[in-house]
Amino acid sequence: CKILRSYTMEHIEERAKVLEEATNCFHRCKNDFAVKQTEEQVRLMRIQRRLEDDSGRSYADLSLQDTLHQLIVEGNTTWVDKLRKDFKVPEKRFWILKINALAYGEDWMELERF
Amino acid sequence: MAGSGAAHLHLGKLNLSILRDFYRREFLECIDKCTGTKALVWDDGLTGPFGLIAEASMLKEQHEVERMFRLEASGLPSSNVQNIIFITRPKLHLMEIIAQCLLNEEMKGGFVRKEFYLVFVPRKSLLCEKKLKEQGVYGSFASVEEFNLGLIPFDSDLLSMETEESYRECYLENDFTSMFFAAQSLMTLQALYGSIPYIYGKGDCAKQVVDMMRRMKMEMGGVEAQITPQIDNLLIIDRTVDLLTPLLSQLTYEGLIDEIFNITNTSVKLPPEKFVTAEDKKNAKEEALSEPKKFILNSADELYAELRDKNFNAVGVIVSRKAKTITAEYDERHSAKTVGEMKQFVSKLPHLQAMRSSLGIHTSIAELVKDFTDSDEFLDSLRCQQELIHGIDTDKVNPYIEDCMARKESLTKVLRLLCIQSMCNDGLKPKVLEYYKREIIQTYGFEHLVTLSHLEKSGFLRPHSARTYQVVRKTMRLIVEDINEQTPTDIAYVYSGYAPLSVRLAQTLARPGWRSITEVLNLLPGPKVEEVQQIPMGLRKRRASVTSSQSSTGEQKLTLVFFLGGVTQAEVAALRFLAQQDDGGTDYVIATTSIITGSRLLDSLRENIQPVKLNPF
Repeated sequence: CKILRSYTMEHIEERAKVLEEATNCFHRCKNDFAVKQTEEQVRLMRIQRRLEDDSGRSYADLSLQDTLHQLIVEGNTTWVDKLRKDFKVPEKRFWILKINALAYGEDWMELERF
Repeated sequence: MAGSGAAHLHLGKLNLSILRDFYRREFLECIDKCTGTKALVWDDGLTGPFGLIAEASMLKEQHEVERMFRLEASGLPSSNVQNIIFITRPKLHLMEIIAQCLLNEEMKGGFVRKEFYLVFVPRKSLLCEKKLKEQGVYGSFASVEEFNLGLIPFDSDLLSMETEESYRECYLENDFTSMFFAAQSLMTLQALYGSIPYIYGKGDCAKQVVDMMRRMKMEMGGVEAQITPQIDNLLIIDRTVDLLTPLLSQLTYEGLIDEIFNITNTSVKLPPEKFVTAEDKKNAKEEALSEPKKFILNSADELYAELRDKNFNAVGVIVSRKAKTITAEYDERHSAKTVGEMKQFVSKLPHLQAMRSSLGIHTSIAELVKDFTDSDEFLDSLRCQQELIHGIDTDKVNPYIEDCMARKESLTKVLRLLCIQSMCNDGLKPKVLEYYKREIIQTYGFEHLVTLSHLEKSGFLRPHSARTYQVVRKTMRLIVEDINEQTPTDIAYVYSGYAPLSVRLAQTLARPGWRSITEVLNLLPGPKVEEVQQIPMGLRKRRASVTSSQSSTGEQKLTLVFFLGGVTQAEVAALRFLAQQDDGGTDYVIATTSIITGSRLLDSLRENIQPVKLNPF
């Protein structure tokens, strides 16, 4: 399985390449759902990489939820909004996430504003 | 290796100590082949099961076994025994460790010449032997044996093969080796207890096992044990027939202990805080306190035998009643006047003390379980399960499952609820299923795409298909209202209102028979198997009438129920409940590939991916 193999790669670009190969495989067996998810994962990995360059902190191997969590804790609102729209995070889950993350980061001021 | 007494094994309808003695004899023959002092090196996964058939003390005293080690990559501790016997499962990674150990030993050298032996349980594998040859150590072994350990007696009515992975192997990897072992161990049973006249089965794997048994019988060329059959019926149930039951939260005492703390090989490790008395606290050091305490749970413990299969809500009542009778019996000593009475009281003392200590233990365990069952998390998820099995709103996205994902609760819990919903709705609508999958991937990470596809492949999650659950639920009376948890009247008490389908099948088989539910059987997956093994006239049991299921002499039939792919403690409890019913006319002995809980079942299907740390450059 290509996905399993991708996790053994050290370099992000190599991983993305293997995942793209996986996408092709999924295409061939007409698994549309998996195609979409794999593409999103590649996109997420690229964004995580960029965030890493910007802030110097590591976002590698976090799920989307965890990435958002960390960004909220850091107060990086521009990227939070962008990711949220990009990946169509449902309202309900996002607000629970936001409250939890703010509480975790002890950002009581921001929490007050709800 | 915990030496556990096996006195309770012969108490059941079928004398299982015969089986235990059989395995023990075989095993001893196996290790007695080499003469002189021995050290046994155990693969960790085997110490538990072997503890149930041969006590460490016995091995030491009578069979010159001087040392026992665990198989570890760090090599063997030094010792001056003449023989070293490795006892291992046929797994490749274990072979590497063994090879490493051997090479280390050779480097060390030593004054005493040592002989090495290797015992595979349950069977040699070509692949493993090849691996050892590759490592260049295969020649070092004086002999390579196999010891065929099949069904291990757990209790007077419970046998297990302890192969946790068998469901995954059969339905995900299409590897039916474990079914071969199942068939083989059934043949062993038949050799010891006589051929079983009637065989019933449901499901793909059940058919496979029955076919294999037929073939093995032919290979034996008609040479069969000339014993009057002690088992009347064999019922083989494939786990795929009833996937819903193990996913629900078990509500019997033993089931809950298993769900929360995982019982392995009839023993359970519990957090120690509740079990230390004030005295112990003074004496013991800090580290001793933090170590989990181990308890052996089987029906040799009188109180546990009574409690284990009760609904947890009934446990408290029994415990307090027991406490009262024990105090009352203790108080008898004041009324004892004559020497004779005193003597009588003293003779009862050991029993009383044993009762009191086991009462203490179970009060503490019950408290631990209660802490868990009182938590909001447990109650909410139970409520959600109840709604789903009643078929309320199963076609929509369930708000509770959604919340769980948003709060990032354990993935196993979410998957368990999700699979229940999928079962109760006969598969989810594509849109709903996709929504769930997307949520899981976004919350828990992309790597779980693999796990999800495994679940779909093995039938736990599926897109919408023909409606069967409602029909099965109605005809098999899976949902029972008004259950009495204290003094149950129906097996549904084990899940507080839900009767396990698998046990209902066994119940209907006993009476009125499967012909009455042909329709339902056709709805359930997999073929139905019915087979009659001819028993020579002279060996047949004498019965008043052949046709009636209950003979007039009040003799009860004995049915062996074999669960392929695992059984839950709650199902075991339900079968025991049926056996106790006076009008049932059937006793049950239960055999299984392993004892499972929903979480263990799902975890075995999960793919564990450990990502390599990304190199940032």
